[in-house]
Amino acid sequence: MGQILQFTINGLMSGAIYALIAVGLVSVFKATRVVNFAHGYLIMFGAYFYFTFAVLVPQLPFAPDWLQSWRPEWMLAMREGLPMFSPMAAVLDWLANLPRILLGLAGALVCNALLGMLIERTLMRPLMGQSVFAMIMLTVGLISILSGAAQLIWTSDAEFVPALAPNTPIRFEMFGANIFLFGADLANMAIALLIFVGIVVMVHYTKSGVAIRATAEDQSTAYSMGISVPKVFSRAWVLASTTGAIAGAILATRNGISPALGLFGFSVLAIVLMGGLDSYLGVFIAAMAVGVLEALTQWKLGGEWAGIVPYVAVLIVILIRPHGLMGSKEIERI
Amino acid sequence: MITGNLKTTYRADEQVLNNRWKRGFVLGALAGLVAIPLFGNNYIVLIACQMGIMLIAVTGVNVVIGYTGLMSLGHAAFVAIGAYATVIFHNAAGGVIPDSLLTLVAIPFAVAVSALAGIIVGLPSLRVKGLYLAVATLSANFIVIFLIEERVFAPWTGGMVGINTPTANLLGWELGSRRELFWLIAVLAVLALLAAQNLFRTRVGRAFIAIRDRDYSAEILGISLYRYKLMSFAISAAYCGLAGALFAYFYARILPEQFDLHLSLMLVAAIIVGGMGRTMGAVYGVIVIVMVPEVIKVVFGAFAGGGAELAMIRAPIQEIAFGALIVGFLLFEPFGINQIIDRALRALNRWPFARG
Repeated sequence: MGQILQFTINGLMSGAIYALIAVGLVSVFKATRVVNFAHGYLIMFGAYFYFTFAVLVPQLPFAPDWLQSWRPEWMLAMREGLPMFSPMAAVLDWLANLPRILLGLAGALVCNALLGMLIERTLMRPLMGQSVFAMIMLTVGLISILSGAAQLIWTSDAEFVPALAPNTPIRFEMFGANIFLFGADLANMAIALLIFVGIVVMVHYTKSGVAIRATAEDQSTAYSMGISVPKVFSRAWVLASTTGAIAGAILATRNGISPALGLFGFSVLAIVLMGGLDSYLGVFIAAMAVGVLEALTQWKLGGEWAGIVPYVAVLIVILIRPHGLMGSKEIERI
Repeated sequence: MITGNLKTTYRADEQVLNNRWKRGFVLGALAGLVAIPLFGNNYIVLIACQMGIMLIAVTGVNVVIGYTGLMSLGHAAFVAIGAYATVIFHNAAGGVIPDSLLTLVAIPFAVAVSALAGIIVGLPSLRVKGLYLAVATLSANFIVIFLIEERVFAPWTGGMVGINTPTANLLGWELGSRRELFWLIAVLAVLALLAAQNLFRTRVGRAFIAIRDRDYSAEILGISLYRYKLMSFAISAAYCGLAGALFAYFYARILPEQFDLHLSLMLVAAIIVGGMGRTMGAVYGVIVIVMVPEVIKVVFGAFAGGGAELAMIRAPIQEIAFGALIVGFLLFEPFGINQIIDRALRALNRWPFARG
């Protein structure tokens, strides 16, 4: 019982990150009707940008010392006499890293937003109004371009990247079972959920969010109502690439940076289709469900089986409900 | 205005190669094909064999994507199934069937197993379309590779480390060298192309095209979507299975990672570059997709002379070039190389009276 609870909680934590990645895919789909097959590689770029700004830039000769490791007097004084693995020491370690974490996040956000905009302007916009098939295949081509470019730019081996939150172990008791978590994982989950909710709220209530929904409903009507559809497109891409950057930073701290991060995008794609392409709620449920299923599979059958859980799940769901859990059915006219 | 197309008999009108430029082009290509094993060096034969194997698989993908309009990103799975079915059949039936007949039985067996797998993977195509189908086939690809790698099946598939493959043997003629194997590959590839070209002059092929153009309209016209979509998947999987069987004979050892997503993308990229829904499109696409990395390799070799640092950036550049090909053709020539060559052949046929 205790183990089930532990693995379920682990699963929910990775499910939250799936949801964060999925929100980018859903937003681009809602606005442009294009599913971005290269989203995983955008995330990989986010992770590499975070690595660049949080690890490589502070090592540069002209970077100030506090960027590398911030140690004001009071912090040194507080550190005195603390035991090695106390929670307080972990928090202080995190504080010392805070400047470069913030720089890393800011850099990743800005660079990825620029990358998303570049892709939208140079590749997607010329195809606007043409068949969606061409645009989707274009994102398939983008997979190779992005993964090749990443290998060209970041040839050095990725080192350890600082976690976004103090990584203190947390133990507590729940329903009579001992649960063991890491503080950073919990914080990642909180960040992911906050952003997810924030974007859903934004799409529902702000003016630009309404523009996205209107474009999703009917492109030409949106145009004639005075909505700048190209602007909506590029906003959706920026939204996707910035959430991707944060997801990339989180994944970099969890699993390290490798070209395999790109493959992660495909499992999220499966999750998105499982939830229903245009439903935030459905995608959220699917992400959490797959996260938990993966964790339980890992526990019962071993790590390698966990990798195909999203694919098996999406096949089963699609066979039963062709438009995903909560996706809206497309109405076709002849 | 269409000119230069005057036909005086029905026979002439029905011909596949309906003018002398096309006829000359195809005959020239066949002559070139025969010249490869006779005069080419080992490197050329190697590349030509790879192209032949790819060509069969791409023709299969063309049936499902180009003609039936069903998106598939998982056809490498069928190539894998064909390759592994061949090897497993050889290992299982090695003592029972005489060696000289084994290949002749193993290839149809691999094709049949792949076609069966195609029907199973095609099942979602009855319910879902477009994007959903693309992801469903992608998932199938991941699952098939996973099952091949899985420890439970390792005694048959070799697992992660791969498995040694048998040598083809046609009625006692051992195809030990690549040059000998090329004959088998070339003959099968030409037959596959001919079969594909003629498939679309039959009732089945026309049903596929009707489904591509508008599936609901096709259904109203009395075409059973259920039957023809599955048939399309089965046919294309059978082509890929044949490619897989040749793949197994061609390489000394096969590994599961040779059939991962990258191969699926290559197959799709080849028809995008060559021209979707055109028989010759597969040919041009395969030539480009196989040649571009080789050309980059040669160019790099000329510049670097084997420098380790430059060699390290060669693989990423090959990858970028591959992606750029897909993107470039989609942006600038969506109908592919086939369209460019068609235009040229048409211009030649009408010269000097009309251009284009």
